[in-house]
Amino acid sequence: MMLYDPDHYGMQVILPDKSRHTLPPDPLDIHEILLAFGCNPTTVIVIRNGTVVPEDFIARGDDEIRIVSVSHGG
Amino acid sequence: MNNGNRVDERSESCSLCSKAAVARLTDPKRRLCADHFIRDCEERVRNTIVTEGMISGSDRIAVGLSGGKDSTALLMILSRILASGGDDASSDTGARVIDTIRPAADLVAITIDEGIAGYREETIEAAAALAGRFGIPQYIISFRELFGSDLDSLLKGREEEACTVCGVLRRRALLEGARRAGATKIATGHNLDDEAQSVLMNLLRGDLPRLVMDTASGYPDCFIPRIKPLLPLSEKEIVIYLLVQGAFTDLPECPYAHTALRGEVREMLSCLELQYPGTQQRLIAARDDVREIIGTGEPGMRGDGAMNRCRHCGEICSGEICAVCRVLE
Repeated sequence: MMLYDPDHYGMQVILPDKSRHTLPPDPLDIHEILLAFGCNPTTVIVIRNGTVVPEDFIARGDDEIRIVSVSHGG
Repeated sequence: MNNGNRVDERSESCSLCSKAAVARLTDPKRRLCADHFIRDCEERVRNTIVTEGMISGSDRIAVGLSGGKDSTALLMILSRILASGGDDASSDTGARVIDTIRPAADLVAITIDEGIAGYREETIEAAAALAGRFGIPQYIISFRELFGSDLDSLLKGREEEACTVCGVLRRRALLEGARRAGATKIATGHNLDDEAQSVLMNLLRGDLPRLVMDTASGYPDCFIPRIKPLLPLSEKEIVIYLLVQGAFTDLPECPYAHTALRGEVREMLSCLELQYPGTQQRLIAARDDVREIIGTGEPGMRGDGAMNRCRHCGEICSGEICAVCRVLE
């Protein structure tokens, strides 16, 4: 997977472990982003720019994509 | 990820209105905005309650309220269903349910304090706040009060048994709480994922009696029926339901959770669900078919229809000594 120079304009992806990654601003299917980062779409919620969205939505530009795990033990 | 492919512009609207969608559902395929998604979830729960005959008008429902996401959603949905009265015109089905369970069914929350340092304090606080918000009486039952010791102490030297020991004791504590509250039913927040995991775990353990056991029916003065109104909702749907209402709190994870077989089964099933959508529902449906073919078992019921009782504590059990007494030995 091609990551992007974080000093450049691009999408910010925040994984369930809170790590941040920058991707190029070109439009991408969020489902593909999830798979690329090893996230199973059935077990995570996607929050795009602060709003919950289905994983078949598109991310682009400087969107912030926060991925939240839904599974919690106990 | 292929950056060379052009991604087409797509509609991001709800299938039923012009608002932005928050969830994509299947069977039937639809995208729903927050309002329609909330209504959809609540209607599916209502339908399940009616179809399964889970609640009647005279019931007092003890909701197992841990303060986590599932029990929070359960309390919210049941409160709305029971409070919405005949003026809820969201659907014909909804009105039918309300007719069935109105006017007298009421709710009480039962919170179990297992005694898990650094974990349970925060969730108990969340549970108390939620019960207070909905004006629902809450009973807190602690392992220390009931069994003489907290879970942390009980597990010393046998941490790998944590989920088994906790599960057995928590079920008894919930039953005790329901009895104290005068409840006629116990509602738990088990969702679609939980149920499918339980089916597979019972199969992997070769535990056919537990696979077919049905705890939804009661036995006078002995056993309070258990209901699982959230069965039509996946774990993901429950989180979205809470998130879009600002009701999701990211609480700490149980420190013993990593010891469970359930974690591995959950991982396996989520991978299968991604590849073959509907796997979990089919697994539960298959279990239900097996129950129909060979009949269900009820806890403690002997072949002659009498109930077995534990030699130590007198509770209903399938052998001579109940699971609670066994884990406390």
